[in-house]
Amino acid sequence: MNIAPRYLGRGSWLARRDPRVLILIVALFIFTVLQVWDERFLLLLLAVAVIYYRSASIPWRHIKRNWTLVFVFIGLLVTVNLFVFSGGEVQGLPPGDHHLLFTVPLLGTPVTAETLSLAVTQFTRYLTMATIGFPVAFAIAPSDFGVAFKRLGVPEKFAFGIDLTFRFLPSLAADFQTTVDAQRIRGFDWSAGATGFLSRARRSTPVVVPTVVNAIAGAEDTIDAMDLRAFGTGRRSWLRELRYDTADRLLLLAFFGLLVAFTILGFMGITSKLYVFPFLIALAGG
Amino acid sequence: MTTATLDRDRLWEVSSRTIVYSAIGAALYGILLVAQIPIPGSTVSVRPAFALVPFFGYAFGPIVGFFTGFVGNAIGDQISGWGALTSWNWSLANGFVGLIAGLAPVYLSRWTNGSTRDRAIGGAIAGSIAVVIGFLFVFTDAILQGMDVGTILTTLYLPVIIGDLIGTIILVPILVYAWEPVKAQLGR
Repeated sequence: MNIAPRYLGRGSWLARRDPRVLILIVALFIFTVLQVWDERFLLLLLAVAVIYYRSASIPWRHIKRNWTLVFVFIGLLVTVNLFVFSGGEVQGLPPGDHHLLFTVPLLGTPVTAETLSLAVTQFTRYLTMATIGFPVAFAIAPSDFGVAFKRLGVPEKFAFGIDLTFRFLPSLAADFQTTVDAQRIRGFDWSAGATGFLSRARRSTPVVVPTVVNAIAGAEDTIDAMDLRAFGTGRRSWLRELRYDTADRLLLLAFFGLLVAFTILGFMGITSKLYVFPFLIALAGG
Repeated sequence: MTTATLDRDRLWEVSSRTIVYSAIGAALYGILLVAQIPIPGSTVSVRPAFALVPFFGYAFGPIVGFFTGFVGNAIGDQISGWGALTSWNWSLANGFVGLIAGLAPVYLSRWTNGSTRDRAIGGAIAGSIAVVIGFLFVFTDAILQGMDVGTILTTLYLPVIIGDLIGTIILVPILVYAWEPVKAQLGR
């Protein structure tokens, strides 16, 4: 079983950046996107996200499934929101300003030009955020996470904990697979036979419990090793040195500039209002 | 360490033991998330692995619980390709579940200081309380994504807490029962 995070963007322009840059950009960009409700500006931000994503050179064939899941997840959320719960309302827009397109049979939810525009906007917002998040998953070396968070100000012990978590992944995944195989030899296959909600959870017990108890009991060696090396008594050094280069600084500056610009535009009311597609209003006979 | 969780004065201690248990909890949670079983018609899954979050919180304290939930969920997202930080509010919600379960000695001392049977029941109760309260944080999607509260309630919050409550109520007491003799054997 391959559980380790896949470093698919290895060697790409983005993967050569300081890992802190990729983490900070996600934060800066998410706060930028959160302020925008105008679809035209969101498409602009999506274009920026796509260009950024492309610089990670993540091979499409390896992440087709991931993108499919993203589309299904976002699509389902937005569709349910539109057809079931919107109630034909859009926050900040008086009901009298709506342009009715049709009413959902059985549910009776009115679908208007405004609610449909909101659904498209929500879809784009989610998609934009997912696009900017993918490079964190595939273009940062797993071994760089600990030191990156440490340099971003996370307390040393917790940064070490993050590093340790990544290091535990392969060995614990192997232990888990060993447990699954051992149970199969005894005639128990946890992934087969269970149909109901409860039985599926119950059938996981013979696999989850031994894996967890073994892992905790086996942790004693690591704890002893850390104690013998006086863990936590002073500042620790990291094998990997992180330094921003010119490209890193420019990239951060660009995304910071984007955040500032969209914050100002939002306060001016240019990007913070929902953009209702004129063709939908025309379609509604408005 | 388990005694530390049952001792209110040592709940917030951060030692090498805290860090190692946190890392193991987060790694196991991340790994076992691959065992997710999708709930038809929903965007979430039955996650037997989720029981690890309240268990690690309950057995080893709020810091271990928070780290297991927060980092474990982020790592699960990272492995699946969603990106560790994309759904940061969901990772925080997972972390809060572990944290609240870890505070059980404060609000469930009668159970946490009792027999093994009491502790096992206490684990299920603390885990259930933690799931219901901790996941309230996902309602931040109403602000972050502009989603309707009803949508969040029915497509996200309720399916998640139902699935996770089932996992918690079944698995946490079993994990407590399994861990207690090992703990005694290790001299903890």
